[in-house]
Amino acid sequence: MELRIAPQMAVMDKLKILGEAAKYDVSCSSSGSSRKNDGQGIGNTVAAGLCHSFAADGRCISLLKILFTNECIYDCRYCVNRCSNDVPRASFTPDEVCELTMEFYRRNYIEGLFLSSGILYSPDYTMELLCETVHRLRTVHRFQGYIHVKAIPGADPLLIQRTGYLVDRMSVNLEMATAEGLRAIAPNKHRKNILKPMRQIQNGITENKNEITLYKHAPHFCEAGQSTQMVIGALPESDYQIMSVAENLYDKFSLKRVYYSAFVNVNEDRELPALAGGPPLLREHRLYQADWLLRFYGFKVDELLTEKRPNFNIAIDPKADWAVRHLECFPVEINRADYQMLLRIPGVGVKSAGRIVAARRFGNLTFEDLKKIGVVLKRALYFITCSGRMMYPTRMDENYIVQNLTYQNRMGKGEKLPFLSDGTSYRQMSLFDMDGFDDGRTAVS
Amino acid sequence: MEDDRRETYNMEDKYLICEDSLEGIFTGIYEAYALREGHQHLHIQIGEEENLRLFAVYLHILPDPVKTDKVAQTLKRRLGEHVYHTLCRAAASCHLDKGEAVYRTVVDALTAGSGRRVMENLKNPYVARCFELARFTANEAHYETEFIRFQELAAKEPGENGVLFSRIGPKNNVVPFVMPHFADRLSIENFMVYDEHRKLFGVHPAKEEWYLVSAGEDFVLKEFALSEKEEGYQELFRAFHRAIGIKSRENKKLQRQMCAYRYQDYMTEFEQKR
Repeated sequence: MELRIAPQMAVMDKLKILGEAAKYDVSCSSSGSSRKNDGQGIGNTVAAGLCHSFAADGRCISLLKILFTNECIYDCRYCVNRCSNDVPRASFTPDEVCELTMEFYRRNYIEGLFLSSGILYSPDYTMELLCETVHRLRTVHRFQGYIHVKAIPGADPLLIQRTGYLVDRMSVNLEMATAEGLRAIAPNKHRKNILKPMRQIQNGITENKNEITLYKHAPHFCEAGQSTQMVIGALPESDYQIMSVAENLYDKFSLKRVYYSAFVNVNEDRELPALAGGPPLLREHRLYQADWLLRFYGFKVDELLTEKRPNFNIAIDPKADWAVRHLECFPVEINRADYQMLLRIPGVGVKSAGRIVAARRFGNLTFEDLKKIGVVLKRALYFITCSGRMMYPTRMDENYIVQNLTYQNRMGKGEKLPFLSDGTSYRQMSLFDMDGFDDGRTAVS
Repeated sequence: MEDDRRETYNMEDKYLICEDSLEGIFTGIYEAYALREGHQHLHIQIGEEENLRLFAVYLHILPDPVKTDKVAQTLKRRLGEHVYHTLCRAAASCHLDKGEAVYRTVVDALTAGSGRRVMENLKNPYVARCFELARFTANEAHYETEFIRFQELAAKEPGENGVLFSRIGPKNNVVPFVMPHFADRLSIENFMVYDEHRKLFGVHPAKEEWYLVSAGEDFVLKEFALSEKEEGYQELFRAFHRAIGIKSRENKKLQRQMCAYRYQDYMTEFEQKR
């Protein structure tokens, strides 16, 4: 077989095509592993991760996010690189990827490499290329920064294992929340094939942890864990379904992160919704908020949503929504409530809850102190008392509180949303958006 | 009569005028304790007062490395590294009330007895202020570790890697907090970070310890030659930066919220737009 692309293509053109092709992959974080430099090469990793820049859409750029190749044998309806699309194709060589990563990293442009790929010839062939690239980066260039590689579903488990020992994070994209959805939208992918490498990576991480307890210098396997991604709004799934799947992934597959990606109909596919108002950004935002509630605030999906009420309230955030439906738990006395209860107050986050617990050892806290601690009083005031008093006389009534919270939002003084509160992004639709002008065809603006 | 007057004199507020530096503030704290007059009427002030108070005494304190070291050692020993570093970050702030805030926080810890837990005592307004200042410095240092852009300067010998150079303009004095991060990350590189507001260089020779160099008030940064490949990589990164944004999600306001203009001014990928 022969590659369909011109091998002499300049690195600049390849970077444009393959950066553009990777942009719908959401994952960008460089968190989860903490490694010092050994003095032999460049690079280290920081547990919290670092974002080095922000793109025009406001999303962070932490890693050099590229596809190895956008050649693909699959024909997934939602994907811009599907084989039936007529887009310019390109492939890097392992050396080009290594050189770009090293030179960008030295200049502090990036935190590491995010390498994904279309399926070239076969999953095995592709996975081997990715593995080879990462191997070269780690051994020849002695790169010690962050590396995130996609595990290709259907690839040989041995290849996945070998790659896992070289990288910080691996991920397999779930794509759709339900197996039926996946079948409808990606005819070449199967739920089983996606879950298999996911399980393999999970087991690899657990075994590796045991190994490291025994042998301190044993090599690390995916130190930063694994993540996955789901497309939101391409199919009529409810938030309840999506969040239940996410909860399962956290509990049963010990994932570090689940990413949600508002659907963009890049292919103008007949079977997929047209979404006139742009991608469902507000819905995506609410899902992320709920995701945080699951991971850091001790909430369960069944508390937030039910079969009968399967979607989030678009007007207020999931935590405030839970609070107004459980007014029997409120108001909470700031000076006495336990940490778990403090976390459930709208306007109190993980940091401020910790600070409250520490600061009240020195004396009773007042509303003034809470403000300094970082509590968002305009949201919290309906739900708290300080030394038995509320900030203002408030009715403990669901409608009254919701009205007040949403009134602030309407006035632009309430919840800070990363876009206009009706859920559309700032930009109006223009003629150029209509026929996918910007997707892979015109790279230069 | 005589005694009475002494009493009033003691009731007057005393202002210790210190230099705007960690040394200045720590020497001020040393002198404040050395006066042994209690802390009620003592204040630390950074730089000269413009509106002199009528019933106040002003004492000028010159920074002293020995006294600074004594204070630093005591703070580390009695309050722990964590509190000590918080105080250092507060002292690197651009706000001039930092002297008083740091001083009062030390008094709260050592004299009022909150000790190692002092930073949790947010009910104390000075501790809260100190916390706030330290957080501002820490946040800005964090942003700079993300947004610093190095340029490769032309190498002396062909084939060698050139020195990496970065110019920043932070509000707080963050260079000392940024350097350890890069010294670990780029341990085998020669690099420099230059704070153009304070004319302060952080210098890291490859595989050696980093250090600070103050260039002095009149210093002007000269034009320097870049390495051959530098332009090319800058261009590549700009192209990548353009390619990775999703058009249908464009949101400049969010971009600006996450990365303020004052950082963008120094960043490779934004230079041409503004």
